[in-house]
Amino acid sequence: MRDLFYDLVRRNGMAVAIYLMLAVSLWVFVLIILPQLTMLDYSFRLNLPPGKIGGPEDIYTIDQYRYFFQGSGSSGGLNTLDISILFKTLLSAVFVTVFDLIICYPVAFILAKSSTGAKARLLVLALIVPYWINEILRAFAFRILFGSTGVINEVGMGLGLFESPVDFIREDVALYAGLAYAYILLMIFPLYNAIESLDRNQIEAAQDMGASWWQVHSKVVIPYAKPGIASGMTMVFMLTSGALAAPQILGGPSNLWFTQLVYQWFNSGGNWPRGSAYAMILLVVCIALVLLTMRIFKVSIGEIKR
Amino acid sequence: MKIKSPTSMVPGIYLTLFFAYLFGPLIIMVITAFNSSNFPRVSPWECFTTDWFGKLVADDKLIEGLGNSLLIGFGVVVVAIPIGLAAAIMLSQVGPKLRASLYTIFIAPILVPGVVIGLSTLIFWDRVGTFFDAPYESFFYDGTFLTIFGQVTFIAAYSMLVFLSRIQRFDNTLTEAALDMGATPTQAFVKVLLPFMAPAIGSATVLAFLASLENYNTTVFTIVSSSTFTTVLSSKVRYGLDPSISAVAVIIISITLIGAIIYECRNRYHSKGWGMIIAERPVLKYATHPGSVAAILGLLAIGAVLFIQNYDSSACTAQILEDKRALQQKLMEQQQLETPKQSSPAPTTPTLGPLGNDATSTAPSSPFGGNAGSIFSPENLSGSSNATPAAPSTAPSSGGGGIFAPENLTGNGSD
Repeated sequence: MRDLFYDLVRRNGMAVAIYLMLAVSLWVFVLIILPQLTMLDYSFRLNLPPGKIGGPEDIYTIDQYRYFFQGSGSSGGLNTLDISILFKTLLSAVFVTVFDLIICYPVAFILAKSSTGAKARLLVLALIVPYWINEILRAFAFRILFGSTGVINEVGMGLGLFESPVDFIREDVALYAGLAYAYILLMIFPLYNAIESLDRNQIEAAQDMGASWWQVHSKVVIPYAKPGIASGMTMVFMLTSGALAAPQILGGPSNLWFTQLVYQWFNSGGNWPRGSAYAMILLVVCIALVLLTMRIFKVSIGEIKR
Repeated sequence: MKIKSPTSMVPGIYLTLFFAYLFGPLIIMVITAFNSSNFPRVSPWECFTTDWFGKLVADDKLIEGLGNSLLIGFGVVVVAIPIGLAAAIMLSQVGPKLRASLYTIFIAPILVPGVVIGLSTLIFWDRVGTFFDAPYESFFYDGTFLTIFGQVTFIAAYSMLVFLSRIQRFDNTLTEAALDMGATPTQAFVKVLLPFMAPAIGSATVLAFLASLENYNTTVFTIVSSSTFTTVLSSKVRYGLDPSISAVAVIIISITLIGAIIYECRNRYHSKGWGMIIAERPVLKYATHPGSVAAILGLLAIGAVLFIQNYDSSACTAQILEDKRALQQKLMEQQQLETPKQSSPAPTTPTLGPLGNDATSTAPSSPFGGNAGSIFSPENLSGSSNATPAAPSTAPSSGGGGIFAPENLTGNGSD
């Protein structure tokens, strides 16, 4: 760290070097690392009233984690409700991520390889504009769309596809559509950046040598764009599994998202240590899943960028 | 490749479908903001109305939340931009190995779920506050400060990425040249590197502000007892769907579109091809100047606001209520016909009953303005089914006093 500082002083002068070091250390330590450590510490404590904090009862315990696995009964039964919510959340997040990849890949490819100049710029702008609209409002739009008197139901019934209104909210269709919608941009841009730098000649060479449309993509474009695919998928997966607004608005009444459990323990439950433990579980499981997937597909985390 | 064959149309069709998915929900939401129905929907279409905007302006909580949001957004920009800039510069100056590990740390806040960031920020500052024995009113427990800290954690990373993509194009020989000509390293930084970064500072500021304004996941934890625009909006959505939320969307979408159009015009105006076209045509040059485009859009926006303030849909909404009432009455009469024996003891109620409803529900917003009450003057009581069409011709213009005249109360009793 001292070497780093001296190097910065040599390059930028004392005043600037102090600014750089101060700004970055404040960010990394005060805003990123210390809060996470405090939360980790908190998750190993009991939920005590303020007066007892620091007293003899304030000891380290794995009670909060045990609750996640076993529930309130200490007889060894599994807390199937919370565990199944975690699995459902992860599974749904994977589903949303894959769905986003499938619908975004062609768009990114068309943008990167078939359109140029003003047209491409306009398309990119058209992609960004919906992203500037508030997350809550985007979820609300899907609520209107999929409601029992919504456009989808009206059209479906008008065409005779179904006789009575389908409860898309309860079936979680609205939630998946809304979540996939919310993070489309985070999938398209990494893909676009990766595919754009691919030399067009490579595609043409493959075509000249008789590669079919499918082979061009599976043998040339996709292997080349792998870092972009990985970073897009990572971001969409992490944000989807950590989403709170869309599940609160679009989620069915009986289906909870794991973040809603965290929220409940924190707000209505008033149990901060347990909320912290649940948040830690979510964080660790998500990171583990992402790292595992990256290991399988041989991509390093340093390649992730927006 | 260039021949127009059916397969060459596939990309176009796909893009159309994709953008339909992207814009369809937004367009439908915008339409619902102008339907007078109490529930946000497109069909059945009742009346074109702008009343939902009025309801919005009267919503004190939302306005208060907006004020807090703007304050927080400003705070986030002030803190996050210097941090992001410092991080990007540091990354550009260190060796590849340190760079990789620093990059991983810097990028982490983007990947950590917002819920976790919000939670950890709240707990951390609560602990710090307890440690210093700070009073409950101190800033350790203040929603605005906590939200700024929580949001800066990841928004600084966003702005770092913006700066990073700019700094990659920086030519280091420029700094070296400045140093060779006798500038101190600090001077070189302030006079060479900072001006080069200026455009990125602009775009990072806009990005940071927007990200702060729309954030929910982190804010909902750190805001404590205060509120922001987004949290107010979310509680509105969760406690009942109401077209005034669509009206919020209309306003935000309009602002976004205006911004996007001006941005695109500016780009096009400064592009080379366009510069050649307008060089010889001064009228076109002024017409396509981003400033004049902004002025036109601004005028349009003012026009829209004036229109929204002055548009009066009460006539139509009253008509709709009238229609609903008529339908209801028809249904009642039908029911009466199907079961004639049961209703025979009280033959007068079917004709007078609905009229009583009418007096309380539609009269205040009747299309006939101040004379509304006189529709129900005694003469009209005889034939209730055609009361409304007959009103203009039969009712004397004697003001609205007649509604609660004793004659009208007999027999309907719905007041």
